[in-house]
Amino acid sequence: MDFFRRDYLREMFTKPTNLIDTNKGEEYYRNLYRKAKERLDWLKFQKPVRENDLKFEEYISNWDISRRDFFKWVSMMTATLMLPPSFEPLVAEAAEVMNRIPVIWINIQDCDGNTEALIRSSAPTVDELILDYLSIEYQETLMAAAGDQAEKCLEDAVNKYKGQYLLFVEGSIPVKMEYAFTTGRHPETGVQRVRRLAKDAKAVIAVGACASFGGVPAAYPNPTGAVGVMDVVNGVPVVNIPACPANPVNIVGVIMHYILTGNLPELDSLKRPKFAFGYRIHDNCERRAHFDAGEFVEEWGDEGAKNNFCLYKMGCKGPFTFNNCSIVRYNDGTNWPIGVGRGCIGCSEPDFWDKYATERPLAASNIRPPALKGVESTVDKVGLTILTATAIGIGIHAISSAIAGKKESLNKEE
Amino acid sequence: MYKKVPRMTKTMRVFHWINVFSVLTAVITGLYIANPYYQALIAEPAAHKYVMAYNRFFHFIAALLLDIVSVAVAYLYFRSTFDKPIKKLIPNRENLIEFKEVLLNLLTLNRRKNFDSSHSDSFNVVWFTILHLLLVWMLFTGFYLYVQGLESGLSSIGKWWPALLHIVTDWVGWLLGGQAGVRWWHHFSMWIILSWVVFHIYYQVWRTIFWKEGDIAIVFGGYKFKKVK
Ligand code: SF4
Repeated sequence: MDFFRRDYLREMFTKPTNLIDTNKGEEYYRNLYRKAKERLDWLKFQKPVRENDLKFEEYISNWDISRRDFFKWVSMMTATLMLPPSFEPLVAEAAEVMNRIPVIWINIQDCDGNTEALIRSSAPTVDELILDYLSIEYQETLMAAAGDQAEKCLEDAVNKYKGQYLLFVEGSIPVKMEYAFTTGRHPETGVQRVRRLAKDAKAVIAVGACASFGGVPAAYPNPTGAVGVMDVVNGVPVVNIPACPANPVNIVGVIMHYILTGNLPELDSLKRPKFAFGYRIHDNCERRAHFDAGEFVEEWGDEGAKNNFCLYKMGCKGPFTFNNCSIVRYNDGTNWPIGVGRGCIGCSEPDFWDKYATERPLAASNIRPPALKGVESTVDKVGLTILTATAIGIGIHAISSAIAGKKESLNKEE
Repeated sequence: MYKKVPRMTKTMRVFHWINVFSVLTAVITGLYIANPYYQALIAEPAAHKYVMAYNRFFHFIAALLLDIVSVAVAYLYFRSTFDKPIKKLIPNRENLIEFKEVLLNLLTLNRRKNFDSSHSDSFNVVWFTILHLLLVWMLFTGFYLYVQGLESGLSSIGKWWPALLHIVTDWVGWLLGGQAGVRWWHHFSMWIILSWVVFHIYYQVWRTIFWKEGDIAIVFGGYKFKKVK
C-alpha cells in the first residue's frame, strides 16, 4: 500500500515545522562558506546581464550611500539571513554580483503596493539600490518600454534566459473568472501568463499577500476566485514572501540567499522563508510586557494608548502572525504598525482579510463560522445560541417533569 | 428497603472533581485569553504584574490536568477492575436496547422504566464518552495553538517537546484552516462542553428527584441506593 511506503511515511513525519535552527554548527557553516565562496567566484566570472550598466561602486556613489551605510546594511542582511558574522564579506560580494541574475517581475490582480513600497522611500535605501541594480528584465511599473515593445522585452528575456531567471509574481491569480485579468495585445489570462512564465523559470517568488495566498482579492465572497501562485504553478519551486506589502528586506534576503548558495532558503509549511517568517510578531513585540501584565488599550486614545499598552483588545493579531516586522520594521527600520499604535492585522497569513483584519480580538470578530455558510457572527454568539437551546430544552423537560410528577402523586393519593 | 450499591471508586471520584475544577478554570481563564474581560487595575509597572501570564499559566495547568486524567480514564475504560465502561459502548443488542430504554425513560418523563438502574447504563456511558472525545479534541486544538509559541524549536524541557507536538498536532491546522480557524474551533468547542455540562448536571439532579435512588450521592460518596422488594 502507498501509505506504508518508506518515503511516504518519512514525508509525513518530517513535515516542515517551524523549527528554526539558528545555529547549525561550525562544520555546517564552514562548508556553506566554502560553497558560497566558490559560487560567488563563479558568478563574478559570468558576464553581467546588461554589460554597459553602471558598476556597483558607481551606483553607490551615485546614490549617495556611504560605504559605512552599505556595511551597516551588510551586517543587517547577514543577521536577517541568520548567518554568522563571518559571512559579511560574502554578503557584500554577493551584492556586487547581483546583476548576474536575470529577473522577470510580473503583476497580476494587485494594487502594485509591493513595487510602491520598494520605490517610495524618502531617501534611497540599500534595498532599493539592490533592486535597481538587479537586472530586472521586465517590470510593468518601472520599465520605460510600453505596448508591443514591452511585450517584446518579455519574450526576449524569456528566450534568452530560459531556465535561469527568477520570476517574481505580484498579485493574486483569478481562476474562477479567468478573464478578470488579461494583459497585452495578445491577451493572456493571469493563469496562462503565470504558468507560461513559470515553466522556464528557475524559481517563482510570490511577493506580497495576494501572490502568496490570494490576499485581499480572495476575501469573501472572492468573486474572481483569486488564489496564490502556489495553487496554480506546479513543478517549479515557489517561495512566498507574504505581507501587505512584502518587506523589501525579505525580498532582497531571498535573492541574497539564492545568490550566495544557489538554493532557495529553508521554507515553512506555507512556503515562507523561515529566516523571515519563523517567529511570531508577538514574540518580539515591544509591547509584549504589557500583554503579559494584562495591560490593554481599551479604546483609541485612552490612557493605555498613551502609555503604549498592548493592542490585543484592539484586534492585534500578533499572537498568531508569523513575520519579522517586529525586528526589521519597515522603511529602513523607521517604524511598523504596532510601533505607531495600531494592532497587527495578520497580513502575512492566509485569509487575513476575512479572519485577521477585524480590528477586534478573534473571539469578538464577526467571522463566518466554518460550517454555517453566509452567517456572520462572533464565536461567542454561535456558542451561546447552542447553550441557550440546551437550556430551553432542559427547561421544557424540567417543567413537564414537575407537572407530570405532581399528577402522579395526586393519582397515588387517590 | 433500600440496598446500597457502589458506583464510583475513590479514584473515579477524584478524577471527576479534578475534571470539574479543570474545566471551570479553563473556561474562566480561556475566556480571558480570548478577549480580556476585566482590566488589571493594578497601579504597578508592567514588569510587576502578570495578569495575562497567570491566566495563561492556569489555563495550561488546567489543560495538563485534564490531559493526564484523560489518559488515565482512557485506560480505565478498558482495564478498570471495578467497571469497564467500554463494555457498555459496544453496540450489541443488549446495549442498544438499554440505550433506547434509558432515553425513553427520560423522554416519557419517567413513565416507563424497563432497565436496571443500579449499574452504569449505556446511555450514561455514551454521554461520558462524548465528553472525553470533546476533551481530546480540545487537547489537539489546544496543543496546536500552544506550540506556535515555541517556534524557536526549543523549550525548557528540550527540543523533543515542540517537535513531538508538531508531529501530533500539525494536521489540525490543515483541517481547520490554520491559526485563526483552530482558535475559532477551540473557543467554539468550549461552548459545546458547557452545553454538555449543563445537561449532565440537570440529568443527574432529575434522576435523583424522579428515580428516588439518591443518584446525586454517587459523585460524593460513591454509592447510590436501589429499592429491593
Ligand atoms: S501589541 Fe500585539 S503583538 Fe504586541 S504584545 Fe500585544 S498582542 Fe502581542
